[in-house]
Amino acid sequence: MSANLSGIRHTQGFDIIKPLSIGAMILIMLPLVLLPLASIFIFGTNKGLASFWAALTAPDAVYALKLSIVTSFWATIFNVFFGLLAAYVLTKYDFWGRNALTVTISLPTAIPTAVAGFALLLLWGPFGILGQYLSPEAQIMFTPYAIILANIFVTFPLAFGVIKPVFDTMNRSLEEASATIGATRWQTFWHITLPALRGAILSGALLTFARSVGEFGSTILVSGNLAGRTQTAPLYIFAKFNEGQVEAANAIAIVLAIFSFLIFSILFFARDWLDAE
Amino acid sequence: MKKFKNKLARVLFFILISSLLLTNGCLPTPQDTKGGRTITLYGFSIMKEALEKEIYPAFAAKWKAEHSEDLSFNSSFAGSEVVTNQILQGAPADVAILSIERDVDRLVEGKAVTNDWRSLPNKGIVNKTPFVILVRKGNPKAITDFPDLAKPGIKLIHPDPVSSGGAQWSILSIYGSELKKSESQTGTPDKTRALQTLQAIWKNVIATPGSAREARTQFETGFGDALITYELEGLLMKQANSPVEIVYPKSTIFSEHPAVVIDRNLNEVKRASVEAFVKFLWSEEAQKAFVKYHFRSATNEALNEANKEFGKIEEPFTVEYFGGWNRAYPEIIEQVFRDQVMKK
Repeated sequence: MSANLSGIRHTQGFDIIKPLSIGAMILIMLPLVLLPLASIFIFGTNKGLASFWAALTAPDAVYALKLSIVTSFWATIFNVFFGLLAAYVLTKYDFWGRNALTVTISLPTAIPTAVAGFALLLLWGPFGILGQYLSPEAQIMFTPYAIILANIFVTFPLAFGVIKPVFDTMNRSLEEASATIGATRWQTFWHITLPALRGAILSGALLTFARSVGEFGSTILVSGNLAGRTQTAPLYIFAKFNEGQVEAANAIAIVLAIFSFLIFSILFFARDWLDAE
Repeated sequence: MKKFKNKLARVLFFILISSLLLTNGCLPTPQDTKGGRTITLYGFSIMKEALEKEIYPAFAAKWKAEHSEDLSFNSSFAGSEVVTNQILQGAPADVAILSIERDVDRLVEGKAVTNDWRSLPNKGIVNKTPFVILVRKGNPKAITDFPDLAKPGIKLIHPDPVSSGGAQWSILSIYGSELKKSESQTGTPDKTRALQTLQAIWKNVIATPGSAREARTQFETGFGDALITYELEGLLMKQANSPVEIVYPKSTIFSEHPAVVIDRNLNEVKRASVEAFVKFLWSEEAQKAFVKYHFRSATNEALNEANKEFGKIEEPFTVEYFGGWNRAYPEIIEQVFRDQVMKK
């Protein structure tokens, strides 16, 4: 009887709550999320598609987008590998300080991104704790590598955070079976563990990537913000907005908005596909 | 169906990963490394147009003619104090053009600048511009001078003196304007009146953006009744048909902007072009370009005749009125503004 409770219809005939609750949800989203996004599109294109295109293909704009994508890409690669390793180690083995490590990995989410940038400067800056020992040619800060470092720092826990719970709840019997029939640890990992994690790895990667592409607070401190050299897309948007070139800022903002929409669409659908197996 | 979905997912996944690898393997080539020399300039927010549209191309052409070598620039613009802090933290600037001399002094203190920058032409000052009040078209709040900004109900946008040099000029401008006017009325500068005006105006400040340029963008997006800023910002806005008017206070300050070579980031090879560029800033060609973009020439008043947009100021003054930045910063920005305006 109680098992069937969810199947019982609470109302006779037309369920008025359904359209009302959906309507309320959209109504709440409208001023908070949908309209702000819409105004980027309206402002970005109100001078005509030609000027939108010109803003988009300005050399500095193209460079900024490329730089954002490349630096985010490497940060993603690194953090997915690290997340995988950390999740494996922290689920598999029990050791002194394990919980402390788990907490530390998650720390970068709670630290303001400006602090992350500042921390990197204090360590690797030309006068930083380690940076002072680097030769002028080998300096990392104020180069694209600094942006990768900043991206790695601020997105550090994201992939780990997605992969770890899957590890925790994974069906251990398969791994045990694999071990009993004589598979090496590597074979077990490659044939059993990894396929089960595919969905988590993809979501972790996309989340990390999306977050990196949008990173601002730490990048502005460590990159030097030189147009056409170390200026990422969010910095470009900020610079253009400050210069009063709102259309130019909007054009790139639109690209980033569409981009994250695509990423989250993939996230939404591909995960089901990958996990369905 | 499930099989099909799996296959599709795999194909999609493969395409995604391989396209990412193909396109993102390596960092994009910076635009300035297409051969030849580069000069990296960090400037305070309003320098952008004049430099990028006139001065850079002019100097690059000159350098090419004299040395048959390509030269390009890359630059970053922000509030003067922000730029200074970036350079102190190690940002790779070869040259800085700052809003206030105090920031150059900070660079000297931080050993980023070791040359005698005051030995440059005109004591290191490249150009100047007076401080004015921008109001909405038709001047609906009837603002004619600084004290009007203290009237109840006026919403003022004022850049943040912590990050912006323009904000500090603005504070000196209000304070000095009242001193100057009281001096010409009674013979002695009235410090109480100046302080009270500044306090009353500061009560009407509704936003303190990080730089003069940010403040202008906020004002342009419809925020606030008035904005105190560089004259050239107002002229640039009018040129772009922004619905604003410039109000010239009876007495106001001329801000003077230093250019400085950042010795710490230079090697001998680079130094030649960087020093040539800095010298070029005082050439007649560069000074004319500044005037075209509404800066006033600091070296040759005759050049300023060329710009018919410049307004007239009855009782102008400079930071020398306070005894230079060495005294103006501690005595007015710190002891008056920080201690008696901000804390009230």
